[in-house]
Amino acid sequence: MKLLKIAKREYLQRVKRKSFLIGTILGPVLMGVMIITPALIMSRGGQRQTRLAIADMSGSIYSELNAGLVDTLADGSMMFSLTQLKVGSQNEFEALKSGLNFQVSKDLIDGYLFIPQDIVTEGKAVFYGKRVGDIKSIERVKSELSHCVISKRLSSEGMDYSVVKNLIEKVDLKTIQLQKGEEKESNFDFLYFSSFIFIMMLYMTILMWGIAVERSIIEEKNNRIIEVLLSSVKPFDLLAGKILGVGSVGLTQYAIWGVFGIALSFYGVSMGGSVAKFSAFSPVTIIFFVVYYLLGFLFYSTMFAGIGAICNTDREAQQMQTPVVMALAFTIIIPMMIIQNPDGTFSTVISMIPFFTPIVMFMRINVLMPPMWQIALSIAIMLGSIYIAGQISAKIFRVGILMYGKRPDAREILKWLRRA
Amino acid sequence: MLELKNVVKNFDNIKAVDGLSMMIEPGGIYGLLGPNGAGKSTTIRMIMGIIQPDDGEIMLFDEPFNEKAKEKIGYLPEERGLYRRMKVLDHLVFLGEIKGIKADVARKRAMEWLERVDLKDWADKNVDALSKGMQQKVQFISTILHDPELVILDEPFTGLDPINTQFLKDIVVDMKDHGKTIILSTHLMDQVEKLCEKICLINKGKKVLEGNLSDIKLDFSRNVISLGFSGDISALENHPEVEKVRSFGQDISITIKEGADTDSILRTAIDNGKVDRFEIGEMSLHDIFIAKVKEEGSEVEDEIIKNS
Repeated sequence: MKLLKIAKREYLQRVKRKSFLIGTILGPVLMGVMIITPALIMSRGGQRQTRLAIADMSGSIYSELNAGLVDTLADGSMMFSLTQLKVGSQNEFEALKSGLNFQVSKDLIDGYLFIPQDIVTEGKAVFYGKRVGDIKSIERVKSELSHCVISKRLSSEGMDYSVVKNLIEKVDLKTIQLQKGEEKESNFDFLYFSSFIFIMMLYMTILMWGIAVERSIIEEKNNRIIEVLLSSVKPFDLLAGKILGVGSVGLTQYAIWGVFGIALSFYGVSMGGSVAKFSAFSPVTIIFFVVYYLLGFLFYSTMFAGIGAICNTDREAQQMQTPVVMALAFTIIIPMMIIQNPDGTFSTVISMIPFFTPIVMFMRINVLMPPMWQIALSIAIMLGSIYIAGQISAKIFRVGILMYGKRPDAREILKWLRRA
Repeated sequence: MLELKNVVKNFDNIKAVDGLSMMIEPGGIYGLLGPNGAGKSTTIRMIMGIIQPDDGEIMLFDEPFNEKAKEKIGYLPEERGLYRRMKVLDHLVFLGEIKGIKADVARKRAMEWLERVDLKDWADKNVDALSKGMQQKVQFISTILHDPELVILDEPFTGLDPINTQFLKDIVVDMKDHGKTIILSTHLMDQVEKLCEKICLINKGKKVLEGNLSDIKLDFSRNVISLGFSGDISALENHPEVEKVRSFGQDISITIKEGADTDSILRTAIDNGKVDRFEIGEMSLHDIFIAKVKEEGSEVEDEIIKNS
């Protein structure tokens, strides 16, 4: 089978390259970094001590605030260091401000807080600071200040803060997802998060390897080997061999990630991590993931191949592939809608449109298993679409692959389709 | 071996090949000659099944075109290249495999060939590490690695240095001696004159002339003098028995009238300049081509006269 020889070359050439290994290892690492870093930055926002000057006009808040803000940093030191400003009136404070501003600008303090005399009744205070984006510290100060003020208001009504706090404690609503009548503890954040990782992987691999097929065709046109190939194999074998070879590279990449993933989850378990988190990636999920990758890759790479056949440079191809890439990108901007209503009309219809099926249907399966007939229908639609796209692409490929120079316009391509 | 019957191929409104018929017997070197744009490459692509003829019939190995026939043909296209990021030996094995030979056979033969052309040490290097001349050698090897019955070379000498030109000519002669059939397509007619036994001259998609090269030469060369001459041409032009003089610098081609006295023409030449060479009846293929095209009443483009 000459098709397999083409596929073998295409596969080995890619897998043997260093860039494949680097990309395969670096991909998830980068993705992990992208996800973890913002969370890390947010959580470690107050890693250094926040020094605040407090102008307390009410005279009774400072001591309570100071007593309340006893949070510690990771290294055990105090998170806040407060100093009280001796001010008797609003005017005095205004006079002090320029000095305080100077201290902030010289980084001697991080900010200052103005607490008016009527804070208990009016509930208003002002914070001045350079790093107003340090949400964590500011939120902490705000909540502690509120706590002081509320407890003052309550005690003036003869109530005790801690008692009231217990009385108004919120209800904790646990969500249990019912799957085939079985209970499964669900967590929206985790569901969203895991679905999103999976669809990002689907999106990136389909796009990356689909475009790899396109570029490989353009390369063969540019280095003029195409005619030698066509004198040995049928255009269809060349096209199909290419798609098969490149698609297998994607599967290899998944296999590598899979092995890493399993190793990582065992490591996670051995370190006492939550097993539940990893068990969400069930074998069924993995199987559907691979199935929809294959369907999506075949569908999109066939189209990319057609584009490659009529373009002479990567730049030309980039223009032409934009609508196709946009169709694929559409699926990664709607996961919220799908997750909120996985079996609604919108989700059902969208998941049956071949451009969106691979990612959307997979997402539905991940969130709430759709009826079996819908899954079967989506696969049938995909297979049909792949067949049609393949027919069209093969015809364009046959004619376009030997064309150098001017890129054909839509009218010419239609002519090829009729003639071939 | 190969037969074309009334083959037609149009591109939009241009007739690239216009009712071409050709018959190629097994064995020997067959020249497919004509100026650029005559339809040679298009004809070859149709023979290889890369493009389909609009009309007519092509018989390969006595049957209509089929995929299996590709394995018996070695084809060096005019537009040729290699994968730059593949190792030389792997590349040759791959091209051999898609021609239907087993990987280990391909590997063995490729190594033999690489050794023969002094590229053995390059077998494990990437193609883009090779010089252009070396890459051309690799291309030749890939064309004949599967030991084809029929070899089609489209403008094989374009861009070759003298060493590679000679190397390729040696391969071609060697293959002929082994009973293979070679089709040599080129616009450099004079370069293949000594190689080909049979030729087919085409112009604007139509056959101009076909047959044994020696017969054709005999037919066309009775009233032509080829002269190596420096001096005053006008005396020759005014000679009563001269029909026409064409000058290519030092090489002059004189068409004489039927039954002319060639001695008298030689004497005129000696009197009016220096003669290095005087040959009766040897007309170059290139001149034959132009004469034939004119004879049929077609215009010969200036470019062809100068370059072909």
